[in-house]
Amino acid sequence: MNLEKVVFGFFILLALTLNVAFVDGEIDNPSHHNVWLLFVTIIVNFIATGLKLGDRSQIGALLLAAALVADLQLIVAASIWTIAEHGSESGITPDVIAVIVSVSRGALVANIISVIMVVADTLMLRR
Amino acid sequence: MPRSSDLDRVTMIVLRFMRGPIVLLISVYAIGITGMAVIPGPEVDGEPTHMSFFHAFYFMTYTATTTGFGELPIEFSEAQRMWAIACLYLSVVAWFYSIGTIVRLVQNPYFRQALAQYTFAISVARIAEPFVLICGFGDTGSLLARGLSDRLIKAVVIDTDPERIKALGLRDYWVKMPGLCGDASVPKQLLDAGLNSRRCTGVVALTRQDEKNLDIAVMVRAMNPSVPIICRCTSRRFDEEFKALSNVAVLDPFETFSEQLTTALQSPALHTLDEWFLGVPGVTLDRTLGYPVGNWVVCGHGRMGQWLFESLRSRSVPVVAVDPRIPEDMERSGLGVRGDANRETLLQAGVREAVGIIAATNNDSVNLRTVMNARSLNPEVFVVVRQNRHENAVAFSMLNANLIMEPSLVTAQRALLRLVAPPIGTLFERLEDCEGATVQELFTRLKTTVRETNPTLWLARLTRDLAPALARANELEQRITLGDLTRDPSNRNRCLPCVPLVAERGGNRTVLPGADFELREGDALLLCGTRSSRYLLDATLGSWYTLNYLVSSVEPPRGYFMRWVERARARK
Repeated sequence: MNLEKVVFGFFILLALTLNVAFVDGEIDNPSHHNVWLLFVTIIVNFIATGLKLGDRSQIGALLLAAALVADLQLIVAASIWTIAEHGSESGITPDVIAVIVSVSRGALVANIISVIMVVADTLMLRR
Repeated sequence: MPRSSDLDRVTMIVLRFMRGPIVLLISVYAIGITGMAVIPGPEVDGEPTHMSFFHAFYFMTYTATTTGFGELPIEFSEAQRMWAIACLYLSVVAWFYSIGTIVRLVQNPYFRQALAQYTFAISVARIAEPFVLICGFGDTGSLLARGLSDRLIKAVVIDTDPERIKALGLRDYWVKMPGLCGDASVPKQLLDAGLNSRRCTGVVALTRQDEKNLDIAVMVRAMNPSVPIICRCTSRRFDEEFKALSNVAVLDPFETFSEQLTTALQSPALHTLDEWFLGVPGVTLDRTLGYPVGNWVVCGHGRMGQWLFESLRSRSVPVVAVDPRIPEDMERSGLGVRGDANRETLLQAGVREAVGIIAATNNDSVNLRTVMNARSLNPEVFVVVRQNRHENAVAFSMLNANLIMEPSLVTAQRALLRLVAPPIGTLFERLEDCEGATVQELFTRLKTTVRETNPTLWLARLTRDLAPALARANELEQRITLGDLTRDPSNRNRCLPCVPLVAERGGNRTVLPGADFELREGDALLLCGTRSSRYLLDATLGSWYTLNYLVSSVEPPRGYFMRWVERARARK
């Protein structure tokens, strides 16, 4: 057993599961999407990205790219949330939450691909 | 430079042909437009209108091409209509003339040749992988191209016969092989074929005439001092000339075959190994050869006959030659029988007592007849027969001979082996000097590890591009041995099914390097193994993490963070 694989796998899977937890529910219902979940998702995604830094293999480069995509989309989602909450009169309307959840779903796709790559890489090693 | 001159030629021919029609078209348009603009149109408010130049040009555009939108922008006067008729007929004639010239241009042989040369040079320049330049696409050339295509190596072909180049275009090769009809000893054709490209890994001269091949070799060497040349040459007249050129391998199919045959008689194991590397169908390492020991009869004393006669005699195999050209002293000493190979001469040569007969003339029908005659006199005789033309293959396979020798196939196989595995010659030279035990050991090793009838033979160049893992390990001053490199990535206690045959460093070659051979960046390894072992080895050479695991059984942490954690733990 390899300590790096355990830590790495833990954070990558956690990023995926938290992301699912946030986007699950009706897309335009603000009460189905919790701001704390979004926050934790972003933090875990950042940690997962940090763990990927420094890998010189091909698969490592692809994993880092996928993580950066997820980060980017989650940051966009968080920015929209902040602007809607504090920068406008109307607050979090169904229209706004729909955009936030859509963008987060994009991040979810990137996280799923990360997990698939990690699993495939591990299976290919056969040791 | 060569490309632009080709383009210049194409443009020049087009311009020369199209000068007349273009001048005519411009004149017709000018006359038509001027006429339409000058001739008064219908009267409006008592004043005659005039067409503007823009409207006149618009009218000519659709009239000259016989599109005919009608009278635009306003109805014409009678005078304008008369002029419109003249314009229409003039311009249609001009257009027909132009189209006819274009058709003639396309059919012009010089234009076609210039265009073919231009497109050829472009398609060669676009080849991104290493390729081989083949001059001469006869039987040998096409067999070689087939072999290269099976190994996914690209080739560029030049041949003087347009029919052969057409045939090249119809072959179902796995990779693209551009072909040009032209003389390969002309520098311009060689340059267009990518002789001075960095990716050109070898030039093979396989035309029918030895002089031509020599010419090609000289031209190639003059223009590119480093590229390896392989040259087919069947006579010894040019030996001195070839010696003056560096890095030229001369392939004489007759010499090669007589070497092969005598090796087969003297050390059957090496012959089996050779054929197994060449991928001769049906050859396994377990094959035991039944080459008989005793008297031989060689029918034919031409280029091949002489080689066979001499090489058999030099290894003290008793041999008698049969040919009308046998010199008198040979006949007197009982080494030759003068005359065509018929029943009488064969009996004279002692075919009844002989163990083997070689029919080696350059005439397929004579060879077939000789074999039939010999068989009727001695049904047990071991038959070696020379097949000159590839198209006669069916007749020869019906003959059921023990060994068929096809010069073009022999040359193609040798050339291919030299191209894909240059150090293989060193291996055989060394094995010939070695004791039987070394050969037997290699046999056992190949049999237990590779276990295939058709092994893959490849040269792994350990350069920075192709083996970044090794380059990194060198930088970190890690010791990488051959034994570690050939471990199986899925179970490092096992070895990949491949056997390193030769290691090359600088100009030095180490034959059968041991497991403790230390590898360095820039080395080249000749390996023999299964197809999958090649991919796995390439993957190891590409990933330092895998290599490190194979060397130390430790998977190093990949990310910065985990490396820091590792260091912190080590400090404690």
